[in-house]
Amino acid sequence: MDLNLTLGGPQGGGIDTSSNMITRAFAAAGYNVFGVREYHSNIKGRHSYNHLRVKEERPRSLKYPVDILIALDPDTIFEHIEDVGEGTKIVYDKQFETSDLASARMIMRDTAKRIRETLQEEKLPLNIKGALQLMQKKGGIPIAVPFNEVVSSAISDGVPTRYFNTLGSAITLAIAGLPVEFGEESIKQVFSAKEKVVAENVKVVKAAYDYCSSNKLAGKPIPKLAKKRRFLITGNDGSAIGKLMGGLRFQTYYPITPASDESSILEEHGAIAFIENENRKLKDSGIVIVQTEDEISAVTMAQGAAITGARASTATSGPGFSLMAEGISFAGMDEVPILITLYQRGGPSTGLPTRNGQSDLLFALNTGHGEFPRIVISSGDVEECIYDAMKGLNYAQRYQMPVLHLIDKNLANTSDLVPEIDSKRVKVSQVLATQDSESFRRYNLDTDNGISNAGYLGKNIFWMTGDEHDELGHVTEDPEIRDRMMRKRFQKLKTVEEEVPMNDRAVLYGPSDAEITFVTWGSQKGVILDVMEDLKAKGITANLLYIKMFEPFPSEFVSGVLKKAKLVIDVESNMLAQAARVIRTNTGINIEKSILKYNGRHITEDELLNSALNIYNNRKEEKLEEVLENGA
Amino acid sequence: MAHNFKSDVTVDWCPGCGDFGILTSITQALSELNLDPHNVVAVSGIGCSGKTPHYLNIGGIHTLHGRSIPFATGVKLSNPNLKVIVPGGDGDMLGIGAGHFVAEGRRNSGLTIIIFDNEVYGLTKGQAAPTMQLGEKTKGLSRANIFGKVNPIALALAAGYSFVARGFSFDMKQLKEIIKTAILHEGSSVIDVLQPCPTYNNINTMEFYRKKVYKLEDDKTWDPVVTGESMDRAVEQFQKAYNKGLEWEERIPTGIFYDNRAIPSFTKRLNEFVPQYFTNPPSDQIVSGTDGFTPVDVLKTFADKTI
Repeated sequence: MDLNLTLGGPQGGGIDTSSNMITRAFAAAGYNVFGVREYHSNIKGRHSYNHLRVKEERPRSLKYPVDILIALDPDTIFEHIEDVGEGTKIVYDKQFETSDLASARMIMRDTAKRIRETLQEEKLPLNIKGALQLMQKKGGIPIAVPFNEVVSSAISDGVPTRYFNTLGSAITLAIAGLPVEFGEESIKQVFSAKEKVVAENVKVVKAAYDYCSSNKLAGKPIPKLAKKRRFLITGNDGSAIGKLMGGLRFQTYYPITPASDESSILEEHGAIAFIENENRKLKDSGIVIVQTEDEISAVTMAQGAAITGARASTATSGPGFSLMAEGISFAGMDEVPILITLYQRGGPSTGLPTRNGQSDLLFALNTGHGEFPRIVISSGDVEECIYDAMKGLNYAQRYQMPVLHLIDKNLANTSDLVPEIDSKRVKVSQVLATQDSESFRRYNLDTDNGISNAGYLGKNIFWMTGDEHDELGHVTEDPEIRDRMMRKRFQKLKTVEEEVPMNDRAVLYGPSDAEITFVTWGSQKGVILDVMEDLKAKGITANLLYIKMFEPFPSEFVSGVLKKAKLVIDVESNMLAQAARVIRTNTGINIEKSILKYNGRHITEDELLNSALNIYNNRKEEKLEEVLENGA
Repeated sequence: MAHNFKSDVTVDWCPGCGDFGILTSITQALSELNLDPHNVVAVSGIGCSGKTPHYLNIGGIHTLHGRSIPFATGVKLSNPNLKVIVPGGDGDMLGIGAGHFVAEGRRNSGLTIIIFDNEVYGLTKGQAAPTMQLGEKTKGLSRANIFGKVNPIALALAAGYSFVARGFSFDMKQLKEIIKTAILHEGSSVIDVLQPCPTYNNINTMEFYRKKVYKLEDDKTWDPVVTGESMDRAVEQFQKAYNKGLEWEERIPTGIFYDNRAIPSFTKRLNEFVPQYFTNPPSDQIVSGTDGFTPVDVLKTFADKTI
């Protein structure tokens, strides 16, 4: 099975609940579900949707056209005209048929204008019927369901509209051929404690299935697969889980999309349960989470905590990260172990506050004035978020420097079913305070690897200053000490290179010899791996050079791969091909072919495959750039 | 032997600077409180005041301009058993760091904030600080100050600080006592210290202040302490403190304006949610299991994420 579906409706209209229900229903039947959430910077009313994919094996990407489009409002039909194709079933409330485009006020004006022009070009009426006719031309199959009638006949009390999202999900499940008991099971999971709500919603699920079977909409039953326990988590969850596993004890944040979910998740799970044999020693430890007055405070308060010995971190997004620049410079100068999780969204400025982007890589590599060492890592899937957050906390304490962990919005809002979280994959190498002594030298220069004595206020007496300083931490402007301190700090980057295994810095997926070598970082990893299989089916071999650590940069490895490569295609969610620039700076190698996307939406398998083939077929050209445009 | 709270670093403030009196008052207060030097930390910002931690023989962080409060809050909240002193300039606290100053009033973490209030930015050659009067022309300025002044006492009260006081750098006896009371105060305290800048402020000199200052405690009926027994009493004292804080032209009051012991500290508020917060704070926790791996039971902790 390979089922792609989009569920859309007004923000605040229960889209997430529906999506959760669909995911849990398929999961209960043993299937794997992968999804991305798209939404406006708005609380109620504007269009939001979840794009999901269901397969027997774990999906890694999403695809258009979708097989089922579920519209919980008329806007969804207008917004997703382009996402339907041969056989797409468009499920909607029959009442929407009276809606016209002019009254769909929550559609962004420019989007509405484009939809109007599309319909006008096709000489179709500017209303739902026109949009549906256009979708039919593309092969879509409209399925009008009298939402109110079906729900009203099922529930014993309450407002019918409140159950429309459940109805939409249940119809989807029925069309997909999933037996009704899984739909009921998912209702129980979603509304767990609320018995009455469960009962009413279960009635709606049954009514939906009945409606589908009596109207010949129900799909051929799909088999039940072996069910295993899994974690249903997002990238935000992954980072939070990794931080808790990795010993985080102090997190600061200022509310910002899409970063603050991570801090809320930490707060909800702040009462840590320890494994049995550790219980006696560690019983009832807690984590402090502080919502600060701004991101300047967030990055400096976390450092205050780190200086006392707590594993500390903050999470933010573009605008907040800009405010952190001076604080990050202090962490570099004063060798403060902090982890900063940077959730990238579309910039510049407020940009696309709820949409995807990878345009902060160059900034992350250069944030803050002056020259100081830092570690910059990036994750590409939900599981990597977990282990990279753990590693990030380790790096910060081991190398006494700021660690920036980049996660893009697409990944933050990806939901995935993870079979296992391995507590033994990454050690938690806590660095404790050095025994205190008279004249404790926090910044001792007699170190080969650049790493000085770990010390924490409260346990050691020493000084820190943003000024250049001596071994004790007092201000100095002495030219010789300055040189030695600069060299000592940068020596640590060499130590990182010696100690961190290459697998944690860059990975080559696929055959070592291939016709196409993709280069990427972040959340495109999954979609490229899928496209590599599509290409293989067409007789074209491909591999992927996937970069995880940008500072210190794995120059030798990258350069080794690229020098052997036949056709290199850089894939990024930004306009300037920033990773390609980093590669050029570090290796001198120019990547001339790129596939870029900066409209803020996730890259889908179909569009990436098309562009990859375009480039492959025109590979004789010296320079090629494809810009992807999918997504509502 | 008693710990010497003065470090051996050469003090490079100008001769006659009010900062010396503040530094001495701090070291005397620490000595008299007989604090373990490991348990008290100084966190400063930038400027002349920012150098203070280096002159103290306790752990210290000389941070960024305006950011001493969030750094200090991180120290305090990660290890609530530490005493955290925050020496800062008027520009540091009420200009570039004003947002943090107000936010800390709402938190009440337990910091001892000492404002070195000399109305000028000394280290950058005497520009007007937020506490300088409108129309004042000190010798470092090429024209009279065109900004109004912020009142540190009134602002501290309005921000919610539970302890608000004013000292004078040439009355070290009084200042030392205020600092001692502030350090022992559970919530956050603000001490606005009037001090001359002999190099750049030729208006607010030692003589200027000597003529105007008077001590609140000289009035035997003055009682700044609020214990929370009555809401009316808290409101009444807040208003009295506020009104006293407005006095400036004729006479300037020093001493403790407001000492509200009923407002729970931020650490107490956190303690409601964080298990064993005071006995096993974030700074002291062992986070690695006996085998070197995470001791966290992921399945139990994230049970809600499993299906």
